[in-house]
Amino acid sequence: MISFVVAIPIVTVFSSFFETTSNYSYILKDTFLYDYIFNSILLLAGVLILTFLIGVGCAYIVSFYKFPAVNFFKWSLILSFAVPAYIYAYSLTAFFENYGTAFSILKGVFGEKDYNSLIPKFDGMIGAIISISFSLFGYVYVLTRASFHYQSQNLIDLGKNLGFSKKKSFFKIILPSARPAIVAGLSLVAMETLSDFGSVSFFGVSTLTTGIYNAWTSFDDLALANRLSFYLLIFILGLFILENLSRKKAQYHTPVKENIKSKPLVLLTGYKSFLAFSFCFFIFLISFLFPVLQMLYWTIIFPKHFMDLNIIKLLFNTILLVVLSSLVLIFLAFVSNYGSRVSKSKLLEILTTFSISGYAIPGVILAVAFISFISWFDNNIVSLLEIKTIKPIFIGSILGLVFVYFIRFYSLACNGIKSGYLKINYSIDESSYLLGYSKLKTFTNIHLPYLKNSVLLIGILISIEIIKELPITLIMRPFNFETFATTAYIYASQDLLEAAAAPSLFLIAIASFFILVTSRYILKD
Amino acid sequence: MGQNFFEIEDVTFKASNINKVNNVTLKIKNEGDIICLLGPSGIGKTTILRTIAGLEKVNSGSISLKNKIISSKNIHVEPENRNISLSFQDNCLFPHYSVLQNIEFGASRNKKSKKLLNSREIIKFLHLDHIVDKFPHQISSGEAQRVSLARSLLSKPDLLLLDEPLSNVDQSFKEEIQVKLKKILTELKITTIIVTHDSYEAFYLGTKCGIILDGQLKQYDDPYNVYHFPNSVEVVNFLNRGILIPAKVTGENSLENEDLGTIKGNFIKHYPKGSNVKLLLQPEDLEHDDKSNLKLEVVDRKFRGTNFIYTLKTLSNLLIPVFVHSHHIHQHEVDEKFGIKRPIHIDHIVCF
Amino acid sequence: MKKVSLFITAFLALFIGFVGISKANEVNIFSARHYDSDIQLYQKFTEKTGIKVNVVSGKDKALQKRITEEGKDCVADLYITADAGRLGAFQAKGMFQRGASSKAIKAVVPKNFRTAYWTGIAKRARIIYYSPDRVSDSDLRGMSYEDLADPKWKGKVVIRKSNNVYNQSLVASLISNNGKKATAEWAKGVVANMARDSKGNDRAQILAVAAGEADLAVANTYYLALMLSGKKGPEQQAAAKKVKPFFPNQDNRGTHMNISGGGILKHAPNKANAIKLLEFLLTKEAQQHIVNNTFEYPMIDGVRPHKLVVQMGLDFKQDLKTKVSSYGRKQADALEVMLAAKWK
Repeated sequence: MISFVVAIPIVTVFSSFFETTSNYSYILKDTFLYDYIFNSILLLAGVLILTFLIGVGCAYIVSFYKFPAVNFFKWSLILSFAVPAYIYAYSLTAFFENYGTAFSILKGVFGEKDYNSLIPKFDGMIGAIISISFSLFGYVYVLTRASFHYQSQNLIDLGKNLGFSKKKSFFKIILPSARPAIVAGLSLVAMETLSDFGSVSFFGVSTLTTGIYNAWTSFDDLALANRLSFYLLIFILGLFILENLSRKKAQYHTPVKENIKSKPLVLLTGYKSFLAFSFCFFIFLISFLFPVLQMLYWTIIFPKHFMDLNIIKLLFNTILLVVLSSLVLIFLAFVSNYGSRVSKSKLLEILTTFSISGYAIPGVILAVAFISFISWFDNNIVSLLEIKTIKPIFIGSILGLVFVYFIRFYSLACNGIKSGYLKINYSIDESSYLLGYSKLKTFTNIHLPYLKNSVLLIGILISIEIIKELPITLIMRPFNFETFATTAYIYASQDLLEAAAAPSLFLIAIASFFILVTSRYILKD
Repeated sequence: MGQNFFEIEDVTFKASNINKVNNVTLKIKNEGDIICLLGPSGIGKTTILRTIAGLEKVNSGSISLKNKIISSKNIHVEPENRNISLSFQDNCLFPHYSVLQNIEFGASRNKKSKKLLNSREIIKFLHLDHIVDKFPHQISSGEAQRVSLARSLLSKPDLLLLDEPLSNVDQSFKEEIQVKLKKILTELKITTIIVTHDSYEAFYLGTKCGIILDGQLKQYDDPYNVYHFPNSVEVVNFLNRGILIPAKVTGENSLENEDLGTIKGNFIKHYPKGSNVKLLLQPEDLEHDDKSNLKLEVVDRKFRGTNFIYTLKTLSNLLIPVFVHSHHIHQHEVDEKFGIKRPIHIDHIVCF
Repeated sequence: MKKVSLFITAFLALFIGFVGISKANEVNIFSARHYDSDIQLYQKFTEKTGIKVNVVSGKDKALQKRITEEGKDCVADLYITADAGRLGAFQAKGMFQRGASSKAIKAVVPKNFRTAYWTGIAKRARIIYYSPDRVSDSDLRGMSYEDLADPKWKGKVVIRKSNNVYNQSLVASLISNNGKKATAEWAKGVVANMARDSKGNDRAQILAVAAGEADLAVANTYYLALMLSGKKGPEQQAAAKKVKPFFPNQDNRGTHMNISGGGILKHAPNKANAIKLLEFLLTKEAQQHIVNNTFEYPMIDGVRPHKLVVQMGLDFKQDLKTKVSSYGRKQADALEVMLAAKWK
């Protein structure tokens, strides 16, 4: 059932694959189709390279060396998760544009002069790559760090024993053994990059995702949208397979916890220590402090926008969505995981795997597909039942919003609960049955208390995603309903970036709070 | 259905194609009997327990407890409703509960039934006092097995299934616990099926022993009979307690072996005179006698505390084990000669 | 099990509680135009009439998609967006109903800026900005949009991307006047004259001229006033002063005009209220509020624009010949010629 629900958008995407193509696609085919593909590839390549360098670099430095504030960097580097790519894009533009913040700073320091030509302009493709990279490198960082953390000291000793230099050790031993984690992190980054809408549309970069959106919304050209979706899905499918493969491998790499000796950290001194510190601080500065400070600066110099903000209502709406969606997601993820565990059915397991594909589909496409589906369903099926209509229940309602969030983030919830369940040996359930506990009692007495922590963690991860989520909320929300994300976006789209600062700041603050609560767990696993 | 407390009627146990035990029929007559199943690892003993517990389904035959069918092709009572307890070999303690909570988890089923045991007694009994507040990952595997055992005992099941219950328990504790286990099971009249690969354990604990070999329940009998009257060469080989030597039947109660000469005793089965058989020779069948003229070369000597087991080589290169008490005044070194008392007399002669 | 079903029931109840059950005296707006000042106007409207105003704002395409898909079940009454082309295209899809030109509206809104389906609420012109340091008055004398393709501006023009709807409307008006073929040639000329690949919003084009990246920029009128007002900070205020507005095509049809406007949706459940709201937005009081906040031109006579807008000049000739309602029909062609010219 759950799998079926999640399959809705995919089915819709393919449902009318052979429909006639409108005029738009002829124009498009000649000029922009290859551009879309080319831009998507370029964006992906740029983001992957940058996140790899930053993520692995930071993870390596904080895992193997000791230098001032290393423990601070360990968790503070994760804070970049709190800054969505589109808010990063706003900051980037605001800072570097002609007569922007950078100009003001230079003027303030060196006096009146024309600095505009000196200030580099980060916009278009480069802006998008930077924004996305700095908001997503956390995936690579967290996973790689965990892998380094559990890496056996023996391996490194072995390298020393073989007389490897530090450099050789790194490239021959440390890096390859963390490969599954790195690949897993990169494929998450890749999926998020391909589905990014906020920052690429802000920078006007035409990717497959924006192409699909345009074909669908402005030209009602389903066939073209579908063709583009098809390319995108191929992309994503490839990544998906890659990620799955690497995860399978990663399992072999997971050592038993007891065997982990704490690695002796190399104490850095002198300029090396300074270099390590500078690198980490630079990344922290760029990824988190920079957008926060830019937003803070605006909030302070344009306090009017801050005053106008109905913070309590926005907070309430944001929290409402977060709480409802996480509860629904976790509850249903539990049901389906428990179901496939109890029934041991292979079919159910395959369906579960299938149902997690929602994560791979860009939110904006998901939302539009969902609306299309509901109206099709309503026109063709519900109308037969002579019930009035179901559209208002699903479109422009909290229910609909939660529904689409559910499709989008189900894989997050499902995989989270699943990995928790993997830790419970199946014979534990059997022991419980044999002691006379029914299946439901086993669930409440054994599974629930045992999975308590991972459920909490997943709940918070989902919450962070939903706080940052933009396109679905924008399209699906009811009347007079704004969240921090939509408020920030709407101001930004009206060229009122300075008014977008305050809601962005609140968004980052809430997400940071959640991240800090969980950082203990994130860093551990 | 007869009057048996527990009955397996022609069931094939199967977890995979390799792990298959065919057409098993096994009856436990009285409540409180202890049955031990012996067999090499990987043969499917665990599958049998899991099937009895209801974790696996049955495709043919039937299993019944207290004259009620609990498993057959059409009937399957859910494990939680069988009142059968299974203690897994790899102990399955609930990792988020303390040892005490784990143990008491078992008791909750039998809140209403007469409390024959309380957790405090059983904890003391199995030497678990010092770890009750610890969590499963903080205790050793032997301790965990005892906790698992305690949990199962406390649930006071109609049928208790133990899968290698003491395999990880320290040798020093093992015997003591075996004794206590037997005592408690007998006192509480808990019918138990124990799977083990330790034949001593099986012989001690079991009212009956089943030997599972080659996908079959080969022999199901009293421990004494299983040991002394193995019904097949495979059982002999499995118990690994003696050797089979070629011999020729020379009369109503005598055989002839070319190295050992005449062997006398009572055949448990009749063989016609002149037939060639394989005689089961167990270490305690031969007696040491320095004065004997039958001298064999010592090739190995194992010191087993209370006794020695000498391995002797005959002229035709047979290796024969001989059991000698360790207070024997003098010892024989390897390569020395070792005298065997003649004539050789064996109480009951087992031949194949 | 009981707990579970209780949980589910509670959940459903909560959801249903949030499903908007429409109340009688209200009007529902889907708005692609989002100014805080608009919200303040709606509040004033509610105070005056007791009609509650509900708003969903968002990207125009997504809103349109939602209206189309929801069809007759869509509870929205009014769709408000910037750009006449969008309104026209949406009208062509049959998504509006007649009624936007009530008597009161007809009385105040010039014919060119309304149809039976929708009406303009405020006006803006898309004009040329230049750097007085580098471009002399004589260079500009008599300049038209058509002249942007003149090779003498090679490497000196900045303008937004072709996917921008204001550009599409501008090019649509050129197609109306000069034909598709001539406009296609024109687009190639403009692309050849560009100082850099198109990027950024209108304000970024003006800033590019201020920063010396280009000499001419094409952008809407209200952006310069916004920057001059200091709402974007002192740097941008100073930058805006380095740039001067120029109203093209004064010698012929006049400067390209556009509107932000609204139309009544086909299945509007509260049509009467929607008309009331449109009428309210076209009152002097409301118009004054709009122009003071958004720096647009008023839709009705007798309202003075913001003084910064007045400073830019009011006595220019507006193109009233090219109907704004024609933009929508020509936008697809406009996009086509721009794409064919490799206009990013």
